[in-house]
This record gives sequence, structure tokens and C-alpha cells, in this order.
Amino acid sequence: MNILKTIKNGIINENPIFIQVIGMCPTLGVTTSAINGIGMGLATTFVLIGSNLVISLLRKFIPDKVRIPAFVVVIASFVTLIQFLLQAYLPDLNSALGLYIPLIVVNCIILARAEAFASKNNPIIASFDGLGMGLGFTMALTVIGAVREIIGSGSIFGFQLASAYQPMLIMIMPPGAFLTLAFLMVGFNVLKNKNKKSIQ
Amino acid sequence: MKNILKPGIRLFIICAISVLLLSVVSEMTKDVIKQQEIDAKAAAMKIVLPDATSFSDKTETGQSDVTAVYEAIDNGKTVGYVIESNSKGFGGAVNIMVGVSSDGVIEGVNILSHTETPGLGAKAVEPKFIDQYKGKKVDKTLVVVKGKVPEDSEIEAITASTITSRAVTTGVNNAVAYFNSNLSGGVTQ
Repeated sequence: MNILKTIKNGIINENPIFIQVIGMCPTLGVTTSAINGIGMGLATTFVLIGSNLVISLLRKFIPDKVRIPAFVVVIASFVTLIQFLLQAYLPDLNSALGLYIPLIVVNCIILARAEAFASKNNPIIASFDGLGMGLGFTMALTVIGAVREIIGSGSIFGFQLASAYQPMLIMIMPPGAFLTLAFLMVGFNVLKNKNKKSIQ
Repeated sequence: MKNILKPGIRLFIICAISVLLLSVVSEMTKDVIKQQEIDAKAAAMKIVLPDATSFSDKTETGQSDVTAVYEAIDNGKTVGYVIESNSKGFGGAVNIMVGVSSDGVIEGVNILSHTETPGLGAKAVEPKFIDQYKGKKVDKTLVVVKGKVPEDSEIEAITASTITSRAVTTGVNNAVAYFNSNLSGGVTQ
């Protein structure tokens, strides 16, 4: 599997949100605005690339019987390390992303890619799988966040849209998350299948 | 036996190396992080009392609602106090800093931390809400109102977030009450 195909796979064919339907907790929880979506997505992408790389490098060393605990230790350590470094050397970025960093440890996507891909492929392709999945995740989160923010807060990236618009508050609460996710998932799959049909 | 020992040992090695790495980075960054926290605190205090150039060390009050006081100093003179207080919001504790000048005027309120709902209670940090406290005198208890233009001792609630609005106001009132009973020895009447 070459590199471009791997990246495209993570964004479209096996998009973690719209196709694999994993990582639902952060997807539903932090997409109250577009900027939140981007922030969480990019932070997760960074961790994904790193953890995929490390786990792929260790894939011959980690015994099959204890692979899950081993993966979790690697992922949690990686995230904690990043948190220390952010707190110390990039404090502004840390306060912008602060809440999301610990949440990344419990993101299914990271463990899923470690198990399904990183532990079975070489480090280079594993890193790019991390990149592709991360980008697909970020794209999905940003779109969901944007939709919820526009309808639920009347703004986009913090910029107020029509000031006469009375926002539909339910969109920035949990029910709105489920609704937005459902409709976008349908839309994504319809577009993806339409594309497939026209290629055939 | 070997089936259990080999995976066990390898897992142990992975954990040991992770812990080693983490403790090294933790030690390395410990002091820098401490300094960041001090700087952030000072910056936060300057928001609520802009006239001050330096702040004293923290004085713990031993209370649970008003937790700490810092003296704000400019040119060797005390210009006011920064008072930390916390109250119960909708989603958890709301921690605020209130800057009160020596002549009994609220110079600013800053929300240090909260877990209020985004888009609703979380709007309390926006100037539209939080700036309402600026300029209020310490001689009155503030009350939250909705649906009307707020008067001098009134704070207009955030739409659909009355609980959060009340929580912040309670925190401010508690800080002001503490100022009036403990610190207004410095108030010039």
C-alpha cells in the first residue's frame, strides 16, 4: 500500500468517524464549535502519528498476549509526555488545547489503529496511516463543529454571523451532536458511494 | 510457566522504560512549569486590578468560599486586593478572581476556571457579561436579573444560563463581603 493511498484511506475510505464509527466520545463531546473541532483533531493527529510510529517500531518486541496493555502504556506515556512539554514550552497553545490533551488517551481511534495497523506494518507506512486517520478525524470534527456552531451559536470560528439570528441552542448540546453526526454520516456515505459508482 | 514469564517480562520492560522517560521529562520541565503557573497567575491578577505593578504572596483565608487574598501594590502603596473565591455553578465549581481597589470599587472580575456548558454558561467569560461587574461599588450586594435593563446593584443574566450567572455573582458578593469585613481597614472613607 503506497503512501498516498494510505493517507486517502484514512480521510475517505476508512474515515474513522463516518465509516468506521469509532472515537465517538470526543466527536460528540467537543464539536460544539469549529475551532474546538480543529484543535482536538490536530492534537489527536499528532498523537496518532507518534503512537503509530512507536508501536510499529516495537511491533516485534511486544508479545501478542499482552499487546493491549502494552499499547495503552505507550499511548498514555506519549500523551503525558506531550502534555509536560506543552505546559513548559508552549503555554499559550496549552491553554487553548488544555482540556483535550488528556482526553486523547481514551480516544478509541488511537488504540484501534495501533491494533489494526501499526502493529502489523512498517514504521513509515504506519506513520502515514496515523496522518491519514488523523486528517480524516480532524476533517470530520471540523465539519461537525462548524455545522453545530453555525446553527447552534450563530457564529463560525467565533465570528458572529447574522446578529438577528436566534440560535437553536439544542445544536450545541448532546442531542444536537447526535443529530448532526447522523445527517453528516448519511451525506458522507451518499457522496462516497456516488463517487464509487461513477468510477465504475 | 515460560508462556507467562516472557510476555510478563517484556511488558515490565515497556512499563519501566515509559516510567523512566516520563520521570526524566517531568523533572526536566518541573521548574519551567512552576514558573509558567506563577506568571499566568500574575497576568490574571493584572486583568482584575490593572493599576497594580506587583502582587504580594498568597494569603490563605482558611475559608472554603473565599480562599485567598493577594495585596496589589503600585509604587510601594497598596492600591487594592485580589480576592479568589469559588462558588457552585451549573456544571461544577466556578473559580474567580475579584479585583477590589482600596477605595472600594470592583475593578474587574476574571473567571479562573469553570466547567459550565459551552455556548451557554461558558459565555460568562465574555466581556458582555463579565465587564458588568466593573465599577460596581462594594457597598451593595449584587443581584441577578433577567429580561430587564439592570440597575446599579443588578447584573443581567446570560440568556438561558441563570445558574451560571448567579454562581459568578455569588462569588463576587462573597469576595466583596470578605473585603468589607476584613480588608476595608485600607478603604479611604
